[in-house]
Amino acid sequence: MDQREALNWIAEVFEEAPGSMTPETLREDIRTWDSMGVLTLMAGMDEKFSIVMTDADIQTMRKVDDILAVLRKHNKLDQTP
Amino acid sequence: MRFILVDKILEMTPGRTIRAVKTLSPAEELFQDHFPGFPVVPGVLLTEMMAQAAGKCLFAEDPKRGRPMLAQIKVASFRDWVRPGEEITLVGEIRSSRPQFAAASCHAEVHGHLVCSAELLFSFQAASNFAEGYRDEVLERFRERAAGETTGNATNS
Repeated sequence: MDQREALNWIAEVFEEAPGSMTPETLREDIRTWDSMGVLTLMAGMDEKFSIVMTDADIQTMRKVDDILAVLRKHNKLDQTP
Repeated sequence: MRFILVDKILEMTPGRTIRAVKTLSPAEELFQDHFPGFPVVPGVLLTEMMAQAAGKCLFAEDPKRGRPMLAQIKVASFRDWVRPGEEITLVGEIRSSRPQFAAASCHAEVHGHLVCSAELLFSFQAASNFAEGYRDEVLERFRERAAGETTGNATNS
């Protein structure tokens, strides 16, 4: 998966428009990145990528790039954007 | 109307699959409004039935995790009308079950015909948040029946 596809998937998870996300988009700027959004993200990571997110993953996330970092860590994202 | 939307569990493998049934009586008041002259079971109730069935399957797997609560209806399709008095068979398959959440693929059938399906996401609420002594009587009846069948005293309640 390349970065553009990943960003569109993240937008879908948070019920935002495709193309609306950048790596620098902050958590507080995404209305649906709340406790429910975290749950949806965890379920999506599990279902689509077989990634079980840790509490540390969740607690340290401040922006979209932190989600991309989890994908990178599990080799689900091309290393070059 | 009570909000117990599963009458009986037919089969269950905790944390994996469940098959249950529900019938809404034609006497239910809601059918006066949904709809006059054309009474059908509301899609929201069909969705809740599937969620309650899948929730029992999850709760039976690990009660200590808490009570499963419907958190998201990811996809839902309503393919045919369900009339008052028709027995609805609810089928749930747990796709993932984690400490914080669970996902289930569910569908409902009437006379073997698919009437609706949904992908549901659950979160969990600690038992301490509910009334003391709150019990799932449908689940308990299934367990009693299953235990009876194991010992050769099966009942068909």
